[in-house]
Amino acid sequence: MFLLRRIASGLRALFRKEQTDRELDEELRAYLEMAIEEKMKYGKSRQDATRAVRLERGNAEVAKEAIHAARWESVVETCWQDLRFALRTLRKSPGFTAVAVLTLALGIGANTAVFTVVNGVLLRPMPFPEADRLFLVSLAPRGGPFEWQPGISDRDYLAFRDQNQAFENVASFTKGTTANLTGAGDPLQIPVAYVTTQFFAALRTNPEIGRGFLAGEDEPGRGSVVLLGNEIWKERFGSDSAILGKTIRLDGVDRAVIGIMPPGFAFPAAKVWMPLAIRVDGHNSFTRPVVGRLKSGVSPQQARAELETFAGHLPLGPGENERMAQVIPLKDLFVANIRPSLVVFTGAVSLVLLIACANVASLFLVRAAGRGQEIAVRSALGAGRWRLVRQLLTESTALSFTGGGAGLLLAFWGVPALLALAPAGKIPRPEMIRIDGWVLAFTFGISTITGILFGLAPAFQVLRRDVRDSLSQVGHRVTGGHERLRGALAISEIALALILLTGAGLMLKSFLLLRSANPGFVAQNVMTLTVDLQDSTYRTAAQMQAFHTRALAGLSSLPGAVVAGAVDWLPLGNALTMGDFQVEGRLRPPAFIVDKPCVSPGYFRAMGIRLLRGREFTERDNETARGVVMVSHSVARTLWPGEDPVGKRISMEDHPKPEDWLTVVGAVDDLKQQALAKSPDPAIYQPYLQVSHPFFLSHMTFVVRTTTHPETVASGMRAILKDVDKDQPISITSMDSLIATTIAEPQFQARLLACFALIALTLTIVGVYGVLSYSVAQRTQEIGVRMALGAQNVDVLRMLLRKALVVISAGIVIGGAGSLAFARVLAKFLFEVKPSDPATFAAVALVLASSALAASYIPARRATGVDPLVALHYE
Amino acid sequence: MAGNSTDLIQGTLDMLILKTLALESMHGYGIGVRIEQMSKGVFHVNAGSLFVAFQRLQRAGLIKSEWKATENSRRAKYYALTEQGRKRLNSETREWGRQVAAIARILEAS
Repeated sequence: MFLLRRIASGLRALFRKEQTDRELDEELRAYLEMAIEEKMKYGKSRQDATRAVRLERGNAEVAKEAIHAARWESVVETCWQDLRFALRTLRKSPGFTAVAVLTLALGIGANTAVFTVVNGVLLRPMPFPEADRLFLVSLAPRGGPFEWQPGISDRDYLAFRDQNQAFENVASFTKGTTANLTGAGDPLQIPVAYVTTQFFAALRTNPEIGRGFLAGEDEPGRGSVVLLGNEIWKERFGSDSAILGKTIRLDGVDRAVIGIMPPGFAFPAAKVWMPLAIRVDGHNSFTRPVVGRLKSGVSPQQARAELETFAGHLPLGPGENERMAQVIPLKDLFVANIRPSLVVFTGAVSLVLLIACANVASLFLVRAAGRGQEIAVRSALGAGRWRLVRQLLTESTALSFTGGGAGLLLAFWGVPALLALAPAGKIPRPEMIRIDGWVLAFTFGISTITGILFGLAPAFQVLRRDVRDSLSQVGHRVTGGHERLRGALAISEIALALILLTGAGLMLKSFLLLRSANPGFVAQNVMTLTVDLQDSTYRTAAQMQAFHTRALAGLSSLPGAVVAGAVDWLPLGNALTMGDFQVEGRLRPPAFIVDKPCVSPGYFRAMGIRLLRGREFTERDNETARGVVMVSHSVARTLWPGEDPVGKRISMEDHPKPEDWLTVVGAVDDLKQQALAKSPDPAIYQPYLQVSHPFFLSHMTFVVRTTTHPETVASGMRAILKDVDKDQPISITSMDSLIATTIAEPQFQARLLACFALIALTLTIVGVYGVLSYSVAQRTQEIGVRMALGAQNVDVLRMLLRKALVVISAGIVIGGAGSLAFARVLAKFLFEVKPSDPATFAAVALVLASSALAASYIPARRATGVDPLVALHYE
Repeated sequence: MAGNSTDLIQGTLDMLILKTLALESMHGYGIGVRIEQMSKGVFHVNAGSLFVAFQRLQRAGLIKSEWKATENSRRAKYYALTEQGRKRLNSETREWGRQVAAIARILEAS
């Protein structure tokens, strides 16, 4: 209450200053008048009375001063004076101000931009009621290829759902699938999600209009209903609620619209939602993410313990690894992949900011030295030391806030650039990334800290300074302290820049190695075309095979095509079909499971995969012929070391009957199925005409090797597929651009770090240049004396460069240690590059040292031009 | 600027002003004169300290002010005790009594 009243009346006094002052004047005048009248009653003249009152009661002006000083708002007033003074001084040295503001703007702007992304991606909660009770439940197999992807296989999910105690609701859902929307304007491929019926209950989000899914609507064969997202409803259906009950066509299937979701709801990055029919058959089971809402009073740890018990009771199939029970915050579904990158970026930009601070602090020291006299005079005239320190800090914060403002502008422009640079779809919830109150608070905060940080150095110099020394014109003698401080600042700048440069160098080298890594096939001049055959049209394996055969026939005879082939899951895509098998006459090595692609004749030639032994599949390897397979090199080597694999037999069945044995007809090179950064996967290929399960046939990618640029055959491929089935949605991309997408992320990391490192390098060079040219300026007289005494240009140059070398080598030694630590953090992003890669370290140190030396050479060179006579007259 | 002795005097002055206003509302000069009279000239208050104290007390909500005409039909700012001020005066008077008694005991003991 008291405080509030004081603040209120203080603010009143501040904003109605004139009125307050007038009232005070009048009150004081009345007071003194009364006193004078009182005296005059006893017969004194007015003049005498006035003098007596002044003696007794004090001067009105002094009283006013005392009253002013007792007000808290007067502090604000002096601060305002300080600020105006600071701005005036800064305006007087525009060069210094511009360099300092620009440096700070770069540092603060980069930090603001990265924080904007971090804030939007990592810090904001998911937009659901009590989102902190939502978790991903995961039973991913330990050490499996998708270990890092939280999920539960359909079979485990059904078992878990029935006995779960810890969660109110659990729901399985798909992520990252798309469907073709037709019949509502132009055909459009939209992201869709298939979800089990408890999904919306778990998220506690209901359709805005209409209803959600009913229990049982996720039974196989029942789910021809759909929920629309608010945005697509607006864009494609004009926000018309008459759409309820009508049907829309998705992937050729008519689905009745039963509801519209509220605006902003798009989890998991979908525009429409359909019931997920979970089908479990003997061998194949999808693994999908599962979301659960914890019951109140149950901790994530308890839920995990329960899940662990459950996982312990699950039978392990052959070749299956034990499952890891995990209960992870739901947000990790989106941010788990990007968090490490963001942490690295945050670290990198804070280093940039530190360098900027060191730079400006160093500039400030130069100025403080130049202003030694001014400060000495002010302090001799009675300005307290704290008052002077406050003045300097006001100047530095005024600078840092100007820099912060400019940095904010940079961030406005930099955030979209940052997002544009990022690989598509890599940054989740981009709509949440914007400059909001938190970002502004962050910028304000770092501007304040920055201002105090670099303002402190000169302020301490003021505190240490002896007034008499400065006044007696020997100012430059006390700058010895400055020299040391500035040297230390330059050393730390070089060290920090080295850390960033090393990080960027390692990432760049890793990216270049990755880009040139051999995937096991030849990616140039290959066009790919992918189809997802719909259950509604293609019910049997034979129907699917007929589609593939017709498409292949057409593609093979396409002008410009060398050879065409097909595979169910393309290498370097995001799918892998791992499985076990039996070997005739011996035991399969335990835990040796293989990728089982289903391919067409011509596939290996189209992809440029080397045939090592035997022959490729042909059209004659069909359902009536004897079963054949081809094996990859590592399969052959593992199963039959030193022997010819051709003619050996394996089976995909657990208990093969005589007709189930498949003969190896050829061996091919290993290739990377999962990612360029991963090692090749052993594979056993089957001809598509001998595969009878629709699971391996419905998703198929056709690959065409072309004579020239692959894009030239795209329209021809499109026409052929239209001829086979005009309603079948397809997607066409060249193999090159597919690979480019898979390495977009390391490319992004390398680019961004390189960008930060360049900023750091530039700032450091400016900093080193500044330190040395200042030191030259300070030593002009000394240099003059040396030259008058016969020192040659070379001697002067050597003397100055020696000093620069000491600073540079100290910075590199210290920075080298820091770089090793930073590189260790980067280790998980590096491909075939050791964090302590000597070549990178040496190259980076050399670049930094030579640029710093070049920066020092300019002022050193200038020093040799000093005229001894002028220098000696200097004082 | 603020030593212990000034603190004591400041606190005392506040209390004396409150006491003066407890009888009736009054303008600045009147308060000053009344304090001098009541202390039989022991305390002499100058304008600076007096008005700083008014400002402090008013901001703390212990007194309120109002422009009125004096008996000589001059405009002056009259100060009056608020309810809070009255409470504060009571508690401070009690505290003062306690301290004085304690100090007296100490001085007598030595």
